[in-house]
Amino acid sequence: MNWSVILTSMLPEHLLLIGMLAILGLEIRSGHSRDGFALALLSVGAAAAAALWLFVTGYLAEPFPQHFLVDPASSLSKAVLIALALPVLLISRDDFAETPYYTLVLASLYGACLVVSSTSFPTLFLGIEIMSLPVYALVLLGLLRAQSTEAALKYLVLGGAATATLLMGISLLYGWSGSLQIETFGAALQYSDPLAMAGAALIVAALFLKAAVVPFHAWAPDAYEGASAPVTAFMATVIKAGVLLAALRIFGTTPVLQPMLGLVAMLPLLSMAWGNLAAIRQVSFRRMIAYSSIGHAGYLFYALLGDGDGRWQAIVFYLIAYGLMNLLAFAALPRGADDERQDRLDALKGLYRRRPFSAVMIAIAMLSLAGLPPLPGFVAKFLVFKNVLAAGHTMYAVAGLVASYLGIYFYLRVIQYMFMTEQDPAAAHGSPRRYAVAASLLCLVPATLLMFFPGWLLERL
Amino acid sequence: MADSTILNLVLWLPVLGMVALLLSPRGNDSAVRGMTLGVMLLQLALTAWLYRRFDGSVPGLQFETRVPWIGDWGVYYHIGLDGLNVLLVALTAFLGPLVVAGAFSAIQKSVKLFYAMVFFIQFAMLGTFLAQDLFLFYVFWEAMLIPMFLIIGIWGGERRIYATLKFVLYTAFGSILMLAAVIYLVYALSQSTGVPSFAFADLYQHELPVVVQGWLLAAFALSFAIKVPMVPLHTWLPDAHVEAPTAGSVILAGVLLKMGTYGFMKLGFPLFPDATRLFTPALMILSVVSIIYGACLALVQTDIKKIIAYSSISHLGYVMLGLVSLDLLGIQGAIIQMVSHGLVAGGLFMMVGMIYERCHTRELAAYGGLAKLLPVYSVFFMILTLASIGLPTTSGFTGEFMVLMGAFNAAWPQFQAGDSLPLVLAVSAVAGVVLGAMYMLWLAQRLLFGEVKAPHQPFTDLVAREKAILIAFVVAIFALGLFPQGPLAKTELAARDYQHRVLASRVEGTTP
Repeated sequence: MNWSVILTSMLPEHLLLIGMLAILGLEIRSGHSRDGFALALLSVGAAAAAALWLFVTGYLAEPFPQHFLVDPASSLSKAVLIALALPVLLISRDDFAETPYYTLVLASLYGACLVVSSTSFPTLFLGIEIMSLPVYALVLLGLLRAQSTEAALKYLVLGGAATATLLMGISLLYGWSGSLQIETFGAALQYSDPLAMAGAALIVAALFLKAAVVPFHAWAPDAYEGASAPVTAFMATVIKAGVLLAALRIFGTTPVLQPMLGLVAMLPLLSMAWGNLAAIRQVSFRRMIAYSSIGHAGYLFYALLGDGDGRWQAIVFYLIAYGLMNLLAFAALPRGADDERQDRLDALKGLYRRRPFSAVMIAIAMLSLAGLPPLPGFVAKFLVFKNVLAAGHTMYAVAGLVASYLGIYFYLRVIQYMFMTEQDPAAAHGSPRRYAVAASLLCLVPATLLMFFPGWLLERL
Repeated sequence: MADSTILNLVLWLPVLGMVALLLSPRGNDSAVRGMTLGVMLLQLALTAWLYRRFDGSVPGLQFETRVPWIGDWGVYYHIGLDGLNVLLVALTAFLGPLVVAGAFSAIQKSVKLFYAMVFFIQFAMLGTFLAQDLFLFYVFWEAMLIPMFLIIGIWGGERRIYATLKFVLYTAFGSILMLAAVIYLVYALSQSTGVPSFAFADLYQHELPVVVQGWLLAAFALSFAIKVPMVPLHTWLPDAHVEAPTAGSVILAGVLLKMGTYGFMKLGFPLFPDATRLFTPALMILSVVSIIYGACLALVQTDIKKIIAYSSISHLGYVMLGLVSLDLLGIQGAIIQMVSHGLVAGGLFMMVGMIYERCHTRELAAYGGLAKLLPVYSVFFMILTLASIGLPTTSGFTGEFMVLMGAFNAAWPQFQAGDSLPLVLAVSAVAGVVLGAMYMLWLAQRLLFGEVKAPHQPFTDLVAREKAILIAFVVAIFALGLFPQGPLAKTELAARDYQHRVLASRVEGTTP
């Protein structure tokens, strides 16, 4: 075994691990739960930089042959995933001052890194589980109300169901091909063997469950509402990105044909339409974001309809634009002691008068999530539908665009509340947390660059 | 400085202004107003300079900038002036400072955000006219929704939220189908040539089967017709106009609606000429229906702003009629009519705003005999009324007359060939002129003459700022009415180009 390759190629993972151990060690040494904020921030920043460095240098190695591959694509995926966690850490400063929170976030990131580098199903499975398990605890960690328990339990049970489905799918594929390599999935798509199809369909269903695609979405609104805002932001961005990158890994560049096409096109399409429609009825901000993320999961999976090379570009660009904008909204969101009242959309009424900076930031985020140009969300949406159309699925592209139209209203309603409605004297008035401005700028600056120079990133994908 | 740099400056000045406003400290409203007006005047000066330098005898684009934007997809940041957009760019730059100055006293809430949004919409409108790349065009086209949504929604009247949501949801629906058509069109082009390109120039060469042309034209036309608006897609307009603040109405009537007709002229018809000729009778019928129906609705309104809003539908019907007549005179008339309507309707909305600021109602019944109370105001109102009717020497006459001449020119040979529909439609369009005279004169009569009444008396007549704004409108209206040769010379080549493009066949397999 070549230790120096393992050391270099897995540098991002190592840095996360060191951060985790350091935080735990500090706690053991001092005997009480200490603030791991600075350490967590440092190790996440270093890990993101390391992943970016591996990408820029075009590092290619296989530290664990047949299981774990580090190539520029996986390095970039890691850089994106880890970097998205930075604003999350910044905005959680006031909610979580205790060690376990940071350890759990780092552990989840570690799992996400495994996912995007895996070339075999066991590694992939391990990665997905390491990524998700800490999140069940995170939902419960900042227990703000009684429903949080229910939300965490729901999430856990359905997450368990997803795990079981995934394993079942993997075993069927193994039974069909005798291989645990990830390419088996691509091969299964090519043949219409019932066993292979069943295996592939189960794996896709498990991914849909993890990413909250209709009809496997029911856990998401409860979990998002029950968790505290930073954890919701983490689930909506990093975890969703992890699952999508896992899907990208599994699908590779294999074209999606019938009968799998029906599954991979119809459910995401339903997800877009239902996510966007159900979001209109919500009164809780986080629940609305949950439905919005159900819709976005639909767009993201839609990108898999495109041909091989375009998928990578579309999904990574989309994840960056979507992640930055979601985090921007959460970073600027005012929060208060009474979470249940503060989370109501009504609390945003008249926000522009009280806190113009927060209102403008949230407005930018909403417009981008709605996919209105010139914001980066538009280029992301355009990219997805361009690829779907180029793959010959004209009707799916048109249907998807119409479904995306349904989403415009509820995003605009948030802006309407903030700018056009007088504030409700009974509503809770929170304030943005410490580091909110730093976190907002951390999202806004890259997003602005992405808005003016999308070509710069696209050429590198 | 090179001319193309100046054109870029004209486009990006509003962005600079917007950023400066958003970063400036709160509280100093008069500095914000002064700064905004200064930037707008600078933009107007630069545009005027470019307009003078624009050479109508040179075909194609002038002051061009073309740099790769999204290299992978063949998207370019490509802007330039040509005969089709030069007048509209000038109109946009002309209305900018007037809109800003007109809102000095009316907008007292969130002043900074308001002017930032005016800058934003100015940028989006200019960008739409200047873009020579379909992707860029679409970005600007859609981006316009954001500031307009806020302008109507924050500073509008009682039912502003309903009106602004209706406006956005109507427009966005058209745009989303247009987006599908844009993607399809570019994809089809890159299939046949192997090079992805969004450039208008490349798309104009592209051959497509008639059926595909028909679908794509339908998608583009839906989006453009909503914006024009053509009957029956017009229902958002009265709501948006009535609820919008004066500045919003002036922008809406002055420039935004022209984005629809410009879209037809620049993209919809020339990109899909065979489908366009196939649909010409239907488009003509819709145009004439818009003219007559808009005028009839204007006749029965009791709200001053609504009368002018419906008159816009009628006046833009002429533009559409001119464009589909495919007669050179008609096309040039349509271009002149676009500018003329921007000036006349913009001026009228500005005047309604002025009286609303004084009396806080737009109900026509509340007014009477203003000629005695506000003599200066009444003179200006009368001039704008006559321009709206299309009295000779005003710009309204030039535009409408040329459009009707064009429609008759196009209809007569067809009539002789046995098809009487175009002639019937052209004759019916003349009825719109008569109806126009009816509703506008009736409005002026009820407002200015008769028994003297007005709420919230006493009030002062126009102040110097308001007079300056209206003088600018009136001078421009007469200039365009008395000396149309200059603008016509600048647009003639482009109008011929448009005519040739739409008359040429571009069905797949045949060489044009």
